[in-house]
Amino acid sequence: MSETTPLLSGRGLRKTYRLGRVNVPVLKGASLDVAAGEWVAVVGSSGSGKSTLLHLLGGLDQPDRLDGGTVLFEGQIVSSLGPGATNRYRNRKVGFVFQFYHLLPELSVVDNATLPAMVGRSPFGWLGARAIRRRANELLGAFGLGHRLHHRPNELSGGERQRVAIARALVNDPQVLLADEPTGNLDAKTGQEILDVVRDLHRKGLTIVMVTHDPTIAAQADRRVALVDGAIA
Amino acid sequence: MYQALLVFRYLTSRIIPLIAVAAVALCVTLVIVVVSVMTGFLDMLRSSGRTLVGDVIVSHDLVGIPYYEELITAIEKVDGVEAAAPVVETFGLVSMPYGVRGGNRVEMLSIWGIDPTRLQRVVDYKRMLYWQYPDDELMPTLASDDPRLDRSFDALDQAMEMRSPEGAPGMVLGIEISPFNQRQRDGSYRTAPRFGAPQNPDYWMVGQNVSLTVVPVTSGGTLKAENRTSMRIVNEFRTGVFQFDNNRVLVGLAELQKMLSLDESTQRDPVDGTVLGVKPARATTILVRAKEGVDPNVLKDRIAPVVDEFLAAKASDPAVLKAQVIVPAGIEVKTWEERLESLIGPVEKERALMRTLFSLIYVVCAGLVLAIFWAIVAEKTRDIGILRSVGAGRVGILAIFLAYGLVIGVLGSGVGLGLAALVVGHINEIHTAMGQPPPAAIAFAAAAAAFAAILAAVYSARRGSVLYTLLWLIVAVILGGLAFLFNYLRQTGGFTIWDPRVYYFSRIPSQLDLANALLTMAFATLFSVIGAAVPAAKAADTDPVRSLRYE
Ligand SMILES: Nc1ncnc2c1ncn2[C@@H]1O[C@H](COP(=O)(O)OP(=O)(O)OP(=O)(O)O)[C@@H](O)[C@H]1O
Ligand SMILES: [Mg+2]
Repeated sequence: MSETTPLLSGRGLRKTYRLGRVNVPVLKGASLDVAAGEWVAVVGSSGSGKSTLLHLLGGLDQPDRLDGGTVLFEGQIVSSLGPGATNRYRNRKVGFVFQFYHLLPELSVVDNATLPAMVGRSPFGWLGARAIRRRANELLGAFGLGHRLHHRPNELSGGERQRVAIARALVNDPQVLLADEPTGNLDAKTGQEILDVVRDLHRKGLTIVMVTHDPTIAAQADRRVALVDGAIA
Repeated sequence: MYQALLVFRYLTSRIIPLIAVAAVALCVTLVIVVVSVMTGFLDMLRSSGRTLVGDVIVSHDLVGIPYYEELITAIEKVDGVEAAAPVVETFGLVSMPYGVRGGNRVEMLSIWGIDPTRLQRVVDYKRMLYWQYPDDELMPTLASDDPRLDRSFDALDQAMEMRSPEGAPGMVLGIEISPFNQRQRDGSYRTAPRFGAPQNPDYWMVGQNVSLTVVPVTSGGTLKAENRTSMRIVNEFRTGVFQFDNNRVLVGLAELQKMLSLDESTQRDPVDGTVLGVKPARATTILVRAKEGVDPNVLKDRIAPVVDEFLAAKASDPAVLKAQVIVPAGIEVKTWEERLESLIGPVEKERALMRTLFSLIYVVCAGLVLAIFWAIVAEKTRDIGILRSVGAGRVGILAIFLAYGLVIGVLGSGVGLGLAALVVGHINEIHTAMGQPPPAAIAFAAAAAAFAAILAAVYSARRGSVLYTLLWLIVAVILGGLAFLFNYLRQTGGFTIWDPRVYYFSRIPSQLDLANALLTMAFATLFSVIGAAVPAAKAADTDPVRSLRYE
């Protein structure tokens, strides 16, 4: 263990799904520490629980009630916060990127990218709306989408959509990017473009946890961990 | 803040919410139109009832009020009283002169003895008289073949005199009494043997002889032998209230008093026949008109003590005692509304019933919104998961769909109000248009359009689109049905829902009941939000992880 506290860590995480009457344990005590500024790749076979782990780390899902382990962010327990605090954690501290982009089809590119910033504000907080928009425009511009701001997601290619999703994940300046197979739905060339974007962000100091089952992608990360039989090998 | 954006986007980029808005709008329109017409109907009934009986009615049936002229003088001194007039009310048998066409017919009718000039000071008697040359206000509304445009049908003067030109005692009939008065669609009448025939003077009631039979009641309350008098019809009246127009006749006050032995006479001792004094004339009813802006209820409370005082004074008057005149112990004082209760009450109940029945529509409204929102939420689970993943809370998600329901409710009721205002404002035109046979061109156009739709369906079928084939077929069936309907209406001459020959009034009330409309809108909005609440709660409970798992 390093001398400094890790930015994000999971300790003995357990997650059990109930299918009818059968309990299906997916995570059986997975532990992972991610240092600030680190890029960690999580690999594992399909169904091994990679996405589940990422959801727990990002506060989108809770570990088992009983003996489910804890998620810590900057040394603070996240996994047992109240709903409001969990929402704020998702909103401010982490940014999710999914395999299937998950953009809102009715919103324009720029509205999609601005969404977390709008969600995080009070219903009456119109103040700073411009600053938010400028930030989203900046990000989208940097990702080469400056001319696409007012298009709908279905007018974009897969790679463009994923770049919008990354811009959305970054708009609130989170400390960690949680990416679940961000290139899984893209061809090799476009996937590499996305990875270049991610690497760029990593260079600027962003902490990244990326799930993948592609070894060549995992090799580009600082560190590679494997999820085997519900635990980090 | 993001809720506002999403509600706006969800609303503007899809068809389903527009269907919800349309559904709410139609519900709101329906309720507003129905209640407005009912309210207008009630108002019309009330105002015509009032013009008929004045504001306050003082009455003592059958035996009548002795010394009524003194009472009228006392009442007219009450603050807020404009004028008062005596009336004698009774029932009688009128042998109607349908004899022109074979055989008399005796009708049992309500008889009012009136003094036209005095009654005119209390209610607008002159305006009620049907057979008179139209004034400038009425003139432009008349059809070109209206008999009243012919001065030979003007009988105003004889009705004001209550006497025929030859000097015979006059009688004014309610216009709905004679079966030969055929009410037209515009509310005017033609006297003719059957509906649709032109005016025929042979069937005109004015100038015909009738005989009136009444049974006098003594001041002690016993019946005397019946009295029969020949009279001449001098006019007919129309109040617009069917119950009056259908069974009331007006005759001269003095004439009826005489027939009912309510006139002034000498009071003799029943045993030895010595003269005791003067037995005063009696009237059964005094109609009182309030001054402009005076509440009838207030006036009634002022008149009642005056009446009691008058009765008490008379009961202890030595001259009255000596003449052995029976002074009633109490006399009824009522406002016009109380007096017409039996007329207004049922319509009021009917309106309440309608309102209750149509309120079920709100529930339908809520159901529609619920179903539509259920579909919207089901389709939006992934969006909900995305919103949760970027930090939106359950309350925030709930708020989106509640606000969505609110917006749909407000928009729907706004559109509904607009539609209702249009329909209510033009209800008579719409009704008239519906009552006319549609032009052949419309039926032909509908048939041609139906044919075009069939062609479009065939084309869609060849292109292999099941959906468009089906839609075009439905359109074809609807248009074809319309073509048949128009053709049918062309032969039968349109359809009349509000038949003025049946209802009291010739025009459908076309006043939007705004208070009611606002209430309806508030309810529709409330129920839209309630309808949206269930799917919204479902949305709030959506597990983000599950909804994000797959594409
Ligand atoms: N809501 C759920 N109910 C029941 N089982 C679930 C649920 N969510 C996930 N699982 C199961 O948990 C296991 C782990 O799922 P998870 O999505 O984390 O795997 P993964 O490693 O991300 O797989 P992949 O590489 O295919 O994305 C799978 O077997 C899955 O079927
Ligand atoms: Mg996965």
